[in-house]
Amino acid sequence: MARTATAPGAPTTKLGTTAAELDDRLVISGWLRRTMNKVYPDHWSFLLGEIALYSFIVLLLSGTYLTLFFDASMREVAYAGSYAPLRGVEMSAAYDSALRLSFDVRGGLFMRQLHHWAALLFVSSIVVHLLRIFFTGAFRRPRETNWTIGVVMLVLALLMGVTGYSLPDDLLSGTGLRIISAILLSIPVVGTWVHFAIFNGPYVGESIIGRFYIAHVLLIPAILLALIALHLIILVKQKHTQFPGPGRTEHNVVGNRLFPTFAAKATGLVFLVFGVSAALGGLVQINPIWLWGPYNPAQVSSASQPDWYIGFLDGSTRLFPAWDMNLPGNYTIPALFWPTVVIAGAMFTVLALYPVIERKLTGDTASHHLLQRPRDVPVRTALGAMALTFYTVLWISGGNDVIALKFDISLNAMTWVGRIGMIVLPPIAYVIAYRICLGLQQHDREVLEHGIETGVIRRLPNGEFIEVHQPLGPVDEHGHGELAYGGAPVPKKMNQIGGARRAIRGFFSPTENPAQVELEQRAEDRGLAAAEGDRELTSSGRPSEGGRPSDGGRPQEPRD
Amino acid sequence: MNTHDTRPGSTGGADTPGPLHGGPDEDYTPEQLAAMSLDELDRLGARYDGVEIMHVEPGPEPGSPLEKRAVRQIGTVFTLAGLCAFASVVIYAGSGWFLPTWQWSVSESGWSAIFTPLVGALFGAAMILVGVGLVLYTKKLLPHETAVQDKHDASAFDRATAGATLVRTAHNSGLARRKLITRSLAFMGGGLGLMLIMPLGGLIKNPNTGDPLGTTPWKQGVRLTRLDGSPIRPGDQEPGSLETVFPAVPGGNRAANAATMLIRLRPEQVAANRPRPGQGNLGYGDYVAYSKICTHAGCPVSLYEQETSRILCPCHQSQFDVTQGAKPVFGPASRPLPQLPITVDASGYFVARSDYLEAVGPTYWNRRRI
Amino acid sequence: MSTTNPQSDPPLPDSGSALGTPVARALARRRSKLRRRWANVAGLLVALVLTGAAYSMFAPAQAAGSSNTESSAEAAGRALYEKTCISCHGANLDGVPRRGPSLIGVGEASVYFQVHTGRMPLARQEAEAQRKPPVFTDTQIDQLMAYVQAHGGGPTLPSGDLRDGDLAQGGELFRLNCASCHNFVGEGGALSSGKYAPNLKNATDLDIYTAMLTGPENMPVFGDNQLTPNEKRAVINYVQTIKAQADPGGAGIGRIGPVSEGLVIWVVGIGVMLFGIFWMGSKA
Repeated sequence: MARTATAPGAPTTKLGTTAAELDDRLVISGWLRRTMNKVYPDHWSFLLGEIALYSFIVLLLSGTYLTLFFDASMREVAYAGSYAPLRGVEMSAAYDSALRLSFDVRGGLFMRQLHHWAALLFVSSIVVHLLRIFFTGAFRRPRETNWTIGVVMLVLALLMGVTGYSLPDDLLSGTGLRIISAILLSIPVVGTWVHFAIFNGPYVGESIIGRFYIAHVLLIPAILLALIALHLIILVKQKHTQFPGPGRTEHNVVGNRLFPTFAAKATGLVFLVFGVSAALGGLVQINPIWLWGPYNPAQVSSASQPDWYIGFLDGSTRLFPAWDMNLPGNYTIPALFWPTVVIAGAMFTVLALYPVIERKLTGDTASHHLLQRPRDVPVRTALGAMALTFYTVLWISGGNDVIALKFDISLNAMTWVGRIGMIVLPPIAYVIAYRICLGLQQHDREVLEHGIETGVIRRLPNGEFIEVHQPLGPVDEHGHGELAYGGAPVPKKMNQIGGARRAIRGFFSPTENPAQVELEQRAEDRGLAAAEGDRELTSSGRPSEGGRPSDGGRPQEPRD
Repeated sequence: MNTHDTRPGSTGGADTPGPLHGGPDEDYTPEQLAAMSLDELDRLGARYDGVEIMHVEPGPEPGSPLEKRAVRQIGTVFTLAGLCAFASVVIYAGSGWFLPTWQWSVSESGWSAIFTPLVGALFGAAMILVGVGLVLYTKKLLPHETAVQDKHDASAFDRATAGATLVRTAHNSGLARRKLITRSLAFMGGGLGLMLIMPLGGLIKNPNTGDPLGTTPWKQGVRLTRLDGSPIRPGDQEPGSLETVFPAVPGGNRAANAATMLIRLRPEQVAANRPRPGQGNLGYGDYVAYSKICTHAGCPVSLYEQETSRILCPCHQSQFDVTQGAKPVFGPASRPLPQLPITVDASGYFVARSDYLEAVGPTYWNRRRI
Repeated sequence: MSTTNPQSDPPLPDSGSALGTPVARALARRRSKLRRRWANVAGLLVALVLTGAAYSMFAPAQAAGSSNTESSAEAAGRALYEKTCISCHGANLDGVPRRGPSLIGVGEASVYFQVHTGRMPLARQEAEAQRKPPVFTDTQIDQLMAYVQAHGGGPTLPSGDLRDGDLAQGGELFRLNCASCHNFVGEGGALSSGKYAPNLKNATDLDIYTAMLTGPENMPVFGDNQLTPNEKRAVINYVQTIKAQADPGGAGIGRIGPVSEGLVIWVVGIGVMLFGIFWMGSKA
């Protein structure tokens, strides 16, 4: 190392020397610099997927802890732990170990609840992330692959959930297991074979908890991890999308470099996700299996529901009419097959293929890196609203007995509301969403053409009253704005274009001295005093006119 | 130089610079780089990676009140996070030592009942505060820069050269001409693929052998027993009652498809009873016995409304009418609950007359054939 | 007391008319359907006050004459019955078609449950009788019980410690026989067409015992040969234990499982996270 020690620019500190030694061996600094220089768009909605990623990390950590105590066996044992109301009761070893984990392991209950809350957060954030991708058109070419991978991961996340909450073998999850068994049996032709392959015989057998366990802790997480890696590699490779705005084009990414800004925020988010899961895990009781009791196929409780992400399937099953199909030769397609296998299969297939469907419908095969505002794509937005409404009706119907009880409504009426609602409401949602999109579009165009409503009323010499509009840019001889709509938010209030006092900065409380800001603004000839003059704003803040490319997707004041 | 350096391959090594590999190392000598400031180097590297730093809003002036306030604030947040973390550890480790025990029992509502909430709240608070501190640091103390990175389309050069390498190799391999090899490869691939998934055959079980889906432990002469195994006499139940009964065989009270509802009808229900055609005499007096396993998805039905004679399934709200042979009257179930033929044996206890006449539980593809 | 014939009149001036308070009746008639509920409540309150006042006047007199075939308690019970129950349950406890069932042989346990939980007298005819504050005092309930018990007998009230049973056995029996309608933790559950199995939150030991014994409304009967008195006590012990026990894992959120958990993750979990990332994205 004599050479590097004397070379110009050689490290002088111990840390520096170590780093140089490392780089000598691994030749890593080029890659490290490229990584640190990678630019990430600075918009809150790009963090939704990261919430899912970080809750998955929390799940891996807490789940590993749980495996140290859990016994995935259906062997019958008599409980002898510390929870008195179950002492002496016959139960499976799985339930017994889950109880011991909750009551006889210090902090075990906390870890169990942390794991379960993180799981709910995991699926919820995936869904919110998916909605953001959908409504902004981020799935369009070249990102169809990543969309499909995402949908597959969502399905795997649901499977993770089902196999996970079935493990304690309590009365609630056992009821769910029974329904899973019935769903498998309902598949035409091969149903019974599939059931016997999975359950190792008729329901309930002695294998299913052990098999779910290995699927839950190894098989599905391994696939998920691989897919997450693929999802992220493709993301890095393709670089991020971004909302249209000043300086943003199809050929660049505007935002923060990974290091340090984005890395610090992302690390902060890891802690926030972990913290929120932990706080919920401590403060809000989830799945109190000791109250449910051990599973027995003859027992059941009213209001038996799956976790929220399976609720839509429970709902569709509740709503679907009793339509067994009797085929010639004494074969039957059970009614249960349609709302579970077919509807769920269709929903996820359409979801996974949506980029292809949209490409076929619109004929738009170009690559897109700039996102769309939902209002600018009214058909897609309306389709999304329609699908979401359908899903929501199913979801609410999954809890219709609880709603019926708590709000004193007839259960049969709730079923009929759901049956009618799942057919009638989605088209209504489509029309409403479509009209709202058009209305918002129109308002954007109106502001671009006529300017912002200032609230100043003038009386013309002929006695007519008019409201003064502030044009956003140069106007033609009729006084109409000449700016074209650029897909970015259009300022609609005077203070968004600096026509009023600048807002005092600070999220929770002001971080600036208002008087100071006032002075600053006077010096800059801005604010009310300036706006009162007959100054005309001439710039839209578009990139060509020198706007600032840093507004994080939210409306900002253009320079004038 | 010492003696070691004379061994072949040990002189100098790679520390002696080899020919430069092009790129920036040719454009910038180490001396030039050493002469540049940190900022310049940072921007140089960024530009080399296609990143242009457009705009930097510096952090607060060192020593300014704004900075002092931010530093104080962030310091407080991190300190609080530490406090919460230590408090969480103290509660976790100290419970049962110098604090009351953490082990909860049913009658407890004191320390042990709030042990988990306390540990969790402090754990969560510590984590959240660390996150908040990091974000505050980024927002308040670091400079805000806006960078623009170029996005490159796929390179035609890369595509052509990589494609050429692949195609050339394919040509050279001659696989297109050497049919025997491709065919044997396909044959081998098929065989190998099948062989690799072959062990999964161990999972396959024939669901039709012995008809496990169509039979239950009930058979002629098997007593109807309660959960604890005690047999039942006709006088044991009041009119308008329901008892879940199990076959008196080992493991009968855990069997997944054996649970049966023994219902004693009220006189009005007896009067209104309209059994299914051909199944009029399966009951005993004012007693009828129906399978407890829903014909829809297999949940135990048994939300029995003795006035309206309905049985509701809590899972999907199918409703069955016991005075109409447990026919489904609402909801997604399409088949009536199967009825168990019952009678009373010589000792005066309820027994089954046979197994169920049809398969109990959820419908499946070939249910009606076996 | 209860409603008029559902065919002829809307079930409205029930409580008021039974007590003959023309004010309540006149007021109620003018009101919209929604307001009738309030009228009923008001009528019940008036009934409560009036019966209480009437009782306080009668009580000393009853204590004096007490050695007929009909005991004084029965007589007082009959008086109460003829004031408030007769319109639905008929002159000789034999019921009125479409209004109320016969009470012959239902036993004092049934009377205790229905009247002590305030379900009877009915406020109005509907799918399910509501639990309300009882209209009668304990003494009056005793008198009604004596009156009904004297006509046809029936299940009687138990004595002794009603929680004297095995906790774990009670749990097994509860999950097998009760949880299907009343839920794992006694939260209650919806039944068909607006009926429901009530929440057990306010149920006393004796309420639960008499309910099992008599099978009120749509609840099946659990006679003593089906669920022995010991087993009933075990069930009661279990119900009351889990009702009273703390939630060691934090807030119980109704103890109804996934529905409220889903609500919490969407409102609190996703809510906090969205707030967090929005705050991160905003500039200092």
